[in-house]
Amino acid sequence: MIRLLSLLLLVVAPAAFAATAEDHYQSARKALTARNYPVALDAFEAALNMEPDNIRYASEYRQAVIGAAQYDRCIAFFEKLVAVHPMASSAFLNFGFAYVDKIPAAGSITQVILANTALTYFSKSIEIKPSWIALYTRGNSYLYWPKIFGRASLGVSDLEKAYQMQKMDRVKRSYHVRVYISLGDGYWKTDDIDKARAIWQEGLAQFPDNEQLKARLAREGDALAEYIDSVLDPNKRVDTNLQEIWTNL
Amino acid sequence: MKRLILLTLFAAGLPLSSHAAGPGETVIRFEEIGEKAGARFVHQTRKFKGAKSDVLEMFTSGGSAVAVADYDNDGFDDIFLVDSDEGASHHLLRNNGNMTFTEVTKTAGVGGGNDPLSICADALWFDYDNDGWQDLMIVRFGTPLLYHNERNGKFKDVSAGTGMTLFTNAIAAIAFDYDNDGDLDVMIGNYFKPVNLIELKTPHVLPNDLDNAINGGGVTFYENVGKGRFIDVTDKSGLGRQTGWTLDLGHGDFNNDGLQDVYVACDYGTDRIFFNEGKGVFRETTETSLGFDTKKGMNAEVGDYNNDGWMDVYVTNITDEYMKECNMLWHNNGDGTFTDVSKETGTCGTLWGWAAKFGDFDNDGWQDIFAVNGLRSAGKDNYIPVVVNMITTPGIDFTDVNNWPDIKDMTWSGYQKKKMFRNLGNQNFKEISGPAGVDNVLDGRGLALADFDRDGLLDMCQTNADQPSLLYRSVTQNPGNYVELKLVGTRSNRDAIGARVKLKADGKTMVREVNGGNGYAGQSTLMLHFGIGTATQVDAVEIRWPSGKIQTVSVPINRLTRIVESK
Repeated sequence: MIRLLSLLLLVVAPAAFAATAEDHYQSARKALTARNYPVALDAFEAALNMEPDNIRYASEYRQAVIGAAQYDRCIAFFEKLVAVHPMASSAFLNFGFAYVDKIPAAGSITQVILANTALTYFSKSIEIKPSWIALYTRGNSYLYWPKIFGRASLGVSDLEKAYQMQKMDRVKRSYHVRVYISLGDGYWKTDDIDKARAIWQEGLAQFPDNEQLKARLAREGDALAEYIDSVLDPNKRVDTNLQEIWTNL
Repeated sequence: MKRLILLTLFAAGLPLSSHAAGPGETVIRFEEIGEKAGARFVHQTRKFKGAKSDVLEMFTSGGSAVAVADYDNDGFDDIFLVDSDEGASHHLLRNNGNMTFTEVTKTAGVGGGNDPLSICADALWFDYDNDGWQDLMIVRFGTPLLYHNERNGKFKDVSAGTGMTLFTNAIAAIAFDYDNDGDLDVMIGNYFKPVNLIELKTPHVLPNDLDNAINGGGVTFYENVGKGRFIDVTDKSGLGRQTGWTLDLGHGDFNNDGLQDVYVACDYGTDRIFFNEGKGVFRETTETSLGFDTKKGMNAEVGDYNNDGWMDVYVTNITDEYMKECNMLWHNNGDGTFTDVSKETGTCGTLWGWAAKFGDFDNDGWQDIFAVNGLRSAGKDNYIPVVVNMITTPGIDFTDVNNWPDIKDMTWSGYQKKKMFRNLGNQNFKEISGPAGVDNVLDGRGLALADFDRDGLLDMCQTNADQPSLLYRSVTQNPGNYVELKLVGTRSNRDAIGARVKLKADGKTMVREVNGGNGYAGQSTLMLHFGIGTATQVDAVEIRWPSGKIQTVSVPINRLTRIVESK
């Protein structure tokens, strides 16, 4: 009998003690608190291998990567992840963000290449699932391209779709303000200042405390141009932390 | 196009009544006098044959250079303008002393070098044999040429016997005494790796990466061993590992130890800084010395912009509507590190920058900056979206010239207004190119500063790719007083290159070093120029010669003083 129980335990034990994605995630967070980046990154990757579409794991993984300046490791990881999970839209989205995260650490021409590659993976994410976050992300990314490349109108198109999506959402979510800001910036970049001011006004009515909307509406002409150019400066690190998304789902 | 150039030049020469100086107010202003001074020559880039010829022409369009020196020892600085097309002659312009120049190229015998397989790209005056007469070096996409000054208005080609026989694609040259043995050594900056671009054996000659390229020409360093002979000490001196796309070289004593250090500005990659350890060896300290570099170093000008006694470095980059790199004004922290303060000082944006020089244009004791810019001014279509399509193609091989789209008549960062920054003395600069009359829109490359008419104000010669050169005479109103020094080495190299002068006046202590060709495609005068504001006397002048000798002298104001190194 004892022998039988032992055998049973031997069989069951590996299953009972196999770490879950959440276990790896918690290990990663713990390691991160101790600033142990190698362990944290390994654990985040283990979690994502089990749940490739988990936006929280992916976002926190990338923030850890930024802290450790391990941009190429992150890109290589997502490349493998999407190869194994070709329908994981969030993984593709974060693959794109992995390129965006590297931009401030790169030379100016590499920045262009990274930004363009990011757009490729944002597009793949939209192709799989045209989510609000993916449309907003790609639309906003187009706005960082200088006028000469004529990409702002593509950004406006994406952001208008994201705008329609959030209009259909019965819940007002804090991150919806981003579309009001970016869509206005898109209109401004395509020389439609009236539409820009109208959408910023609409956003301010929805989010009366938003300083970014107030700042835009308080400026005109060169002052507004200088402000938006400063916001869309590719040399500044873009905040790609998606915490606001999962905390407001 | 010609009409546009003429209009631009006309506009540059117009008096600017809206900026007339008030009583006692100092207004920096220049008038463009190239044509009437006999100093207007149109540079021609090398024309290539076959497919992708325009791409190669664009990549080799940097050779419109200028070098200034008093080659005939008459007390007035002369001008040498480099040309680059096959068979095109350079121009040696003798200063007549009245702000006019006479071309003497043929008599002097220095017009050659643009042979079918070589492209001239820069020039450098230096007295390699310490005989008191300026000799002339022309570097090429090819082997360098060295002309000995025969003291009679003629030069003798002594290239064959110099030992400087390496074929490189040279774009920059500086001379300084790296071992303080009393003669001048030569450092050459090479853009492409050493392949002949005119007879291409492979199309893989362009940068392997547009921000981290390691397949460029690096530098070549020749030590002067006397009797007109030089030996290659590139590897021995620790400079051989640098394989970037060198565009410019700047030397200066960055750590005040009496030895000349070197800044290497690299296109398509990280700039490099080398500290001279003595005993013929440089130590690279790029990673610990410099902060973030935006990877398009075009110019390495050395000077003390804030009068703190430490030599700073100004590097131009590309800051255009499609690329926001910012220049780098490397503030020397005095501990072997530098901090880029271009944004904080207002000297960040000069569009597609090329040469830039420090110079005290109003004689107020603070060094201002003039920067030239512009790559290619042509038709209304823009090459940028076209080239970016290529750049962003996954897996594209940048090295292959065949992958680069044809440029044809497209413009690329063209028609750019030059930038002049007035140093306000509080770590801030103010852009004044319009009021100063120097905001021309030619495709600038080289720049040299000199007081050509000996009136105590710095004048400028600007060279342009495939366009006419400009000569700017300073007509600055109500400038400060000045001191100009011509140093003559005895134990040190005769040109006194590397000598450091500390001058106290007007409550300031200013430091200048004699340099041998710092700054892209332009060698300025060997004379040192100090503005001293309202001071009516100089409190002290101390010279530290390359030999190590410290000499204290008294100098009058508002004139040029010749100082010979004491024995």
